Amino acid sequence: MDKEFQEEQFTGIIKFTPPLYKQRYQFVKDLVEKHKPKKVADLGCADCTLLWMLKCCNCIEVLVGLDVCATVMKENMHRLSPLPGDYLQPAERSLTVTLHHGSVAHKDPCMLGFDLVTCIELIEHLEESELKKFPEVVFGFMAPSIVVITTPNSEFNPLLPGVILSRHPDHKFEWNRAQFESWALETARSYDYSVEFTGVGHPPTGKENVGFCTQIAVFVRKCPQTIESVQSEKPTEAVYQTVFQAVYPSLKDEKYLQNAVVDEVIFTAQIIKQSLLDHVMSEPEEYSDDLTERELEFQPSADCFSEDLETLVVENSMEPFVDGNVVYIPLTTIFSFPRVNQLCGTFEKFCELIADKVTLSSDGSAVMLSTEYE
Amino acid sequence: GLFRDFHDLGVNTRQTIEHVQESKTGSSGSMIKLTANYFRLTSRPQWALYQYHVAYNPEMEARRLRSALLFQHEELLGKTHAFDGAILFLPKKLVNKVTQLFSRTRNGEDVKITITLTNELPPTSPTCLQFYNIIFRRLLKMLNLQQIGRNYYNPSDPITIPHHRLTIWPGFTSSILQYEESIMLCTDVSHKVLRSETVLDFMYNLYHQVDEQRYKDTCAKELIGLIVLTKYNNRTYRVDGIDWDASPQCTFRRADGSEISYVDYYKRQYNQEITDLNQPVLISESKRKRGTIMPGPVVLIPELCFLTGLTERMRNDFNMMKDLSSHTRLPPEQRQHEIGRLIDYIQKDDGVQKELRDWGLSFDSNLFSFTGRVAQAEKILQSGSVVEYNPQFADWTKEIRGAPLICAKPLDNWLLIYPRRNHDTAGVLLQSLSKVTPPMGIRMNRATMIEVDDKTEAYIRVLQQAVTPDTNIVFCVLSSSRKDKYDAIKKYLCTDCPVPSQCVISRTLSKPQTALAIATKIALQMNSKMGGELWSVEIPLKQVMIVGIDCYHDTLFGKQSIAGFVASLNQTMTRWFSRCAVQGRGQELVDGLKACLQSALREWFKWNKCLPSRIIVYRDGVGDGQLHTLVNYEVPQFLDCLKSVGKDYVPRLTVIVVKKRVNTRLFAQAGGTLRNPPPGTIVDGGITRPEWYDFFIVSQAVRNGCVAPTHYNVIYDTSKLKPDHVQRLTYKLCHMYYNWSGIIRVPAPCQYAHKLAFLVGQSIHREPSLLLSDKLYYL
Repeated sequence: MDKEFQEEQFTGIIKFTPPLYKQRYQFVKDLVEKHKPKKVADLGCADCTLLWMLKCCNCIEVLVGLDVCATVMKENMHRLSPLPGDYLQPAERSLTVTLHHGSVAHKDPCMLGFDLVTCIELIEHLEESELKKFPEVVFGFMAPSIVVITTPNSEFNPLLPGVILSRHPDHKFEWNRAQFESWALETARSYDYSVEFTGVGHPPTGKENVGFCTQIAVFVRKCPQTIESVQSEKPTEAVYQTVFQAVYPSLKDEKYLQNAVVDEVIFTAQIIKQSLLDHVMSEPEEYSDDLTERELEFQPSADCFSEDLETLVVENSMEPFVDGNVVYIPLTTIFSFPRVNQLCGTFEKFCELIADKVTLSSDGSAVMLSTEYE
Repeated sequence: GLFRDFHDLGVNTRQTIEHVQESKTGSSGSMIKLTANYFRLTSRPQWALYQYHVAYNPEMEARRLRSALLFQHEELLGKTHAFDGAILFLPKKLVNKVTQLFSRTRNGEDVKITITLTNELPPTSPTCLQFYNIIFRRLLKMLNLQQIGRNYYNPSDPITIPHHRLTIWPGFTSSILQYEESIMLCTDVSHKVLRSETVLDFMYNLYHQVDEQRYKDTCAKELIGLIVLTKYNNRTYRVDGIDWDASPQCTFRRADGSEISYVDYYKRQYNQEITDLNQPVLISESKRKRGTIMPGPVVLIPELCFLTGLTERMRNDFNMMKDLSSHTRLPPEQRQHEIGRLIDYIQKDDGVQKELRDWGLSFDSNLFSFTGRVAQAEKILQSGSVVEYNPQFADWTKEIRGAPLICAKPLDNWLLIYPRRNHDTAGVLLQSLSKVTPPMGIRMNRATMIEVDDKTEAYIRVLQQAVTPDTNIVFCVLSSSRKDKYDAIKKYLCTDCPVPSQCVISRTLSKPQTALAIATKIALQMNSKMGGELWSVEIPLKQVMIVGIDCYHDTLFGKQSIAGFVASLNQTMTRWFSRCAVQGRGQELVDGLKACLQSALREWFKWNKCLPSRIIVYRDGVGDGQLHTLVNYEVPQFLDCLKSVGKDYVPRLTVIVVKKRVNTRLFAQAGGTLRNPPPGTIVDGGITRPEWYDFFIVSQAVRNGCVAPTHYNVIYDTSKLKPDHVQRLTYKLCHMYYNWSGIIRVPAPCQYAHKLAFLVGQSIHREPSLLLSDKLYYL
């Protein structure tokens, strides 16, 4: 806390470390880590920085941004596109990031069913008429499990140099704690939410009575709603415009899963083949006796090789073998590899995924590799 | 800055060359209709771009913030703009020359922004070019292409090669530049080789494949020089080192002064979990300047880096390269189709079209068409007779088989060293050689046959005992392509005991059906190495010394660079003098080159009893953006060197920069289809640059894929030679490389220089003995 004000005594200017906006985002991020929401929307997402931070959170599968200004979103939307790395190693979870152009004063069915909705420094930009509609749209219509609202605390303003009426020319109002809390309590009561207050940006020593620089209200819906009831109750027309959408590659998508499995199978088989051929070439006479022990050497990462998998391999009746120019590697052997196993889950799924992609023996029980290739 | 340097903009060399002010085009040869991978950029009439300087008070560091603050005033500036943090481009003129605006940061800080009109730019101005490129990159982003390095790739439809964990993304290179008559977009198909494994995966796999004590060395060898792609953002870095003593648990000092470990940093900043806490870290000597922070080494975590590109081992894997080239080598028709797809994307995407319309720009939808010329086929001369060959194939291997050479060196006294188990192979080789050498005119005595243990020390011991000053050449049969053995033999025979040598892997000799063809090739190569002459072409220029220079940059051992330098010794260009300059860190290559040129002139004098009246330098191995250095430092040094020879000695000097790696592709229109242009195709207009005396030549023929033209840029020329003659001479020299009985991509001296630099850089690591300098021992 003291650190936040290191420079204050010298310059007389309050500087927050890290900057206040980052503290607000970190607050949301911590909340996400705690509650693990799947669907998250940021209302008033502006330059998409919060969304950009949240896209790394592994629990989130649907991430939506909404703003009344399409230009600012368009300027920054490419930050939300998947990176080459996301294609090279598709994630376990699925993730879709969407940006909508629209106002929080309007209802759109695309905002239904969210676990978390954030309104960071949003409400103070709303016109009176919009602010009036805001609770009905967010709490009544969207009705997410959790809502986070942050807004400036006007009691802090005297400590900020150069701030006379409000912190930003576009702010329609800035509330003190009592104003914000009464508005929040009233809203919570009307829509059956509980609310807790906190904030970021501690006041300097001696001025603790003014409260946080940014005040935060966290609303939690009291009765869990089922998705069906939400949808059946509120049929509305779509009014938002989609500005941007990015579907992240994911192993949930059959196409990426299949690629990942086939890659892993061929690569693994290649390693087995190589060590098999090395053995055949160096010690041909020992070849027939010593299979199980050799098997362990094939494992690319022996350290993550759990014990039951080990027995699984030993119990296999069939072992990899060379016949003429062809190496046969039983599917059961390949399936016992941790990564393959983890990707496919079941042996049936495994067989299904590689069916047309990998050359199999006539009875379909083994992968065939030609030794000619080397 | 980077853009400008990369394209060598602003280096106007043509203006200093008097005789090409009017025209730099040649005239001989037959006309050919060509298209190239260029699209014309068009703008609406009276188009102009308005350039503004944007200043902030108080000063703002972050680009994103500067941009956000500026565009709080979008009503004033309009929706169409390009801003790089300091320079703002608008398609319209603001009312005032200087505009002052006020914005407020999220922290409530007021910022004064001053926008000053600095320039009104016509479409052809150099700044406009930079602007076009910025806009074009924006379009590619809108098309959802991923930027990796300088190019853009499409990740949605990758080609995978699971055997090697390779993923190939198709994509495009693009640059917009001012060409001879118009501004054009040059775009080519590019393939990015990516790997679906991290550097850490790779390290683990390697660990299981090599001995523990060799592990770190092997790792360094495989990884250093590779480009990695970080998982958490979209940056690429070159691996310059591995720090085995560090780990992700080490800490570093952040910009705000706090200490943080890599694990915590990546967790906090990017939500990236580092699971292996004992991995080493990668070091990249970043050349990129970030903001005002001076570049320093960047530390990378192997687990968070993907490998890109191919390792040396992969390149040597014939099967894999075949696999790869089946995907990446596109025949002309298909390549043109793929290139056209980019323009298609641009034409069909509404967002992109709107952006272009707002700026008042558009692209031609057809490839740029023009006429080139095809030079007359060169006659290949062999001791009095002319070799008939088909110029379309650019190859006379079959035609010269069994014909007498211009100058055959006898094999009176030579050694044949082979490992015990290749006894038979050696015998067969000897037999084949004795069959093929007589028709060539090579006199051959039976070799001194020596059996050795298949060990490096055994070879060297034999060499020490058996090589005498009378030895013509040493022939070594090697059991495998193990580099250390080859290196040791070459090192010994190039420095300690200078004798030409020929190393051949036994496998090459083992196939009976190709035995004679191989023996012929070997005989030609050995003859060249001993100073023999195989064939020649007509060279009408008299008293000219041709110089070839190429560089080899060693990324591993001591980071030295080696310049190979060769110079012709006779009128027919059949004999070459060579030296090389080994340059350590911090040394200038040019000092070594000066010494090379001096000794070449001395040698030329010895052979011709006079000094050359013309010197023509073909300079290869010049990187993007280095042209400036060449013009301002290297050329003056050459001139200096010539001056020092004698007061009255003022030879005519021509310096030509040779560039093999260009994005230009040429297609010949034949009937309804596109084909590769034939060997000898010369282009000196349309796609050349107005500020240079430059031209393209397609000299070689390729069997599959698209032929790549070679770019020649004459940066200094007092020869007064007509462009036509320079072009023809250049093409002739592409016929003179004795290790290939056909036409090659570059003039022979460049390829010789390359071979020499490569041998020294890879195997010998110091300058070879000067006793060998008049022979092509490095082939």
